[in-house]
Amino acid sequence: MPKLVFIEKNGNRKEVDAPLGLSVMEIAHRFDVDIEGACEGSLACSTCHVIVEPSWFARLEEPSEDEEDMLDLAFGLTATSRLGCQIIMTEALDGLTVTLPAETHNLLGD
Amino acid sequence: MSERPIYLDYQATTPTDPRVLEAMLPWFTERFGNPHSVHHLYGREATEAVEAGRARLAALIGAEPREMVFTSGATESNNLAIKGAARFLKGRKGHIVTLASEHKCVLEACRRMEREGFRLDILAPRPDGLVDLARLAEAIEEDTALVSIMAVNNEIGVIQPLAEIGALCRARGVLFHCDAAQAAGKVPLDVNAQAIDLLSISGHKMYGPKGIGALYVRRRPRVRLEPQIDGGGQERGHRSGTLPTPLCVGLGEAARIALESMDEEAARLDRFNRRFRALLAERVEGVTINGDLDRRFPGNLNVSIAGLDAEALIAALPELALSTGSACTSASVEPSYVLRAMGLPDSAARGSLRIGFGRPTSEEEVERAAALIADAVERLRAERPAAAE
Repeated sequence: MPKLVFIEKNGNRKEVDAPLGLSVMEIAHRFDVDIEGACEGSLACSTCHVIVEPSWFARLEEPSEDEEDMLDLAFGLTATSRLGCQIIMTEALDGLTVTLPAETHNLLGD
Repeated sequence: MSERPIYLDYQATTPTDPRVLEAMLPWFTERFGNPHSVHHLYGREATEAVEAGRARLAALIGAEPREMVFTSGATESNNLAIKGAARFLKGRKGHIVTLASEHKCVLEACRRMEREGFRLDILAPRPDGLVDLARLAEAIEEDTALVSIMAVNNEIGVIQPLAEIGALCRARGVLFHCDAAQAAGKVPLDVNAQAIDLLSISGHKMYGPKGIGALYVRRRPRVRLEPQIDGGGQERGHRSGTLPTPLCVGLGEAARIALESMDEEAARLDRFNRRFRALLAERVEGVTINGDLDRRFPGNLNVSIAGLDAEALIAALPELALSTGSACTSASVEPSYVLRAMGLPDSAARGSLRIGFGRPTSEEEVERAAALIADAVERLRAERPAAAE
């Protein structure tokens, strides 16, 4: 099973076994990594915002227009930001490393 | 003198077209709703009007409506483009390239980013005022974030080779920002054909109202900016603040009129430009036109008159409203930095007049202006014959 690495908000590095076909957001939820995902992957919020390690960023598939629109609303957006719900785990992504941003911008309310 | 001077300073500002004013008026009084109010008619009709204006403005430059961000003017647009792009890319990119003949607000925004840690290359234009494409290609580095080069120069009217600059930037993975304050509505612009990622527009330079402008922000591939004004997240988060409905309507109407009349207007201004040059040349010796003669917006002429100081010439011409250079830097008595960057000696730069023709200009005004300038030159040269040498 490929590995997925989360750098958590406190800087802690958490490596997990990532089931193929699940999204980064779903994998985070499965392993109690603190990613919100308020809209549960329906591209209606930006709360599963993750910052992809630059060396991995170019190896991901291009984000869709809808994802870009949601990213526009993400708090603390960076040049390698993606939505965790839109990155689907494959063998090729073995070792993928993503950082959780310090804050998210939840317009749906807490 | 009771008559008002002939206005020849259309690069400083233009009058609001009466059709534009007409379109704006209802949105000040009976239709005053906040375009961000979604719960009632007042708000919704204002939203529709703003969006119609946005669509018209987008059509002027071949953009999609949602790629247009309304701002307070080109100075704000240029600041948002340069600082917003650089600050967003900071850490991954660290270098900016621009031209020495850019508007002050572009140069100052770039210098601000230099103080924030970016390396800055300010390239000299060629003697004809145009960018040296080979030098630009050399200046772009691996970590260049942005190239900022204007479309039409505000002092000398030359049109930069935008499509070539855009293609170069695109090939090198660098953002291309274009300050089109003097170009929008005057010369054809197409953000896709010219591969422009960010483009600044000013309302009052194109017969629209003062106090509004816009920034085009490319969506494919997406260009991201760090907002410079925080608040309610209007304008897709790029620029918070309630939109001024009448100004948005006015800018849209100005764009519609400009698109419709651009060819006819350019042909008329070109005729005036040639006529003026011919009339002046008939009577005055030692006239030099600054900047490339062919690649230029015909509503502008920048002339140096040998041996004459432009300030003295303007003082001798109360019948004409013209200036020596950019209104934005006229407070200083230094010779134009644009002309000096092109390699003109201080004496020639000091002797230069900026003459602008616009939509309301008449043939008679052009002829009268040429005659008045020739009279004044003759008078001044007679007073100080040695200066004419």
